[in-house]
Amino acid sequence: MFLQYMTGLLILIFGSMHFLAISALAPTSDKILYLYNSSSGAHILIGGTLNYYSVKAVYTSLAWGSVFELLLTFLVFHVFNGFRVILSEQFPGGTSEKIITYSMLIVALIIFIYGSNTIVVMLNGGGI
Amino acid sequence: MMTIENKKGWISWFNPFKYGTDRWMYSLHRLTGIILGLYLIAHVWETSHILDGPITWNSLMVFLDYPFGPHFGPFILSGVLLVAVYHALNGIRLTIVENGLMLPKPYRPEFPYRPKSLKGLNNVLKILLGVLMIIISAIGIYFIFTGVIL
Repeated sequence: MFLQYMTGLLILIFGSMHFLAISALAPTSDKILYLYNSSSGAHILIGGTLNYYSVKAVYTSLAWGSVFELLLTFLVFHVFNGFRVILSEQFPGGTSEKIITYSMLIVALIIFIYGSNTIVVMLNGGGI
Repeated sequence: MMTIENKKGWISWFNPFKYGTDRWMYSLHRLTGIILGLYLIAHVWETSHILDGPITWNSLMVFLDYPFGPHFGPFILSGVLLVAVYHALNGIRLTIVENGLMLPKPYRPEFPYRPKSLKGLNNVLKILLGVLMIIISAIGIYFIFTGVIL
């Protein structure tokens, strides 16, 4: 449980930084999440902190990329260890615990690699 | 030791007649944890679309903001914020209490066996959790809807 407590506290710190990345520290003049072109009837996102160019500017920064990678690492451990504990209590027994542990490990690795791929590719100026 | 015979499963998390506030907070902690875990998976998938370029990304953002017609994105984000704030603050309380901090010294159990650990500073932490949850959630939701941090 020590690692669960520690990753929880680290998620709190890095999660707050993630919140700041789309708010006060977002690289946009406006700090709203969505800025639409109101002249046309359709919803066209022209600005805001969730606009592609704002998000890309955050992702391509080495500092933010490192924050996201660390946050992903702590989150994946915390979430899937939490799932493992809950499932092990729901389905007690030596065999089921082993199945649950290894299943969670595999899913956690897939999510970690998939998320890391986005961060690393974007750090290299990725995307289209 | 837990056996299969005496196991009631997840349904026992929500027995309002047998347990007090600590049990309810435990159940809510688990429920919010499951919601946040599933949100993480969806969020990792969602953010991977940044690799597909501006048209795909912006279309996805608009779709997630307008999934049913009305401007709905801020309501989803506010829900995630509320769940995350509760899980985080209760997590801090559990880290303090489960490590034996701010709890009374061990004592000999006496009738009517009301545990002192569930009173005193533990209750102060619960009240503090409630107050902080209202303040942090209010600031966060205000930002989500207006883009302004107080």
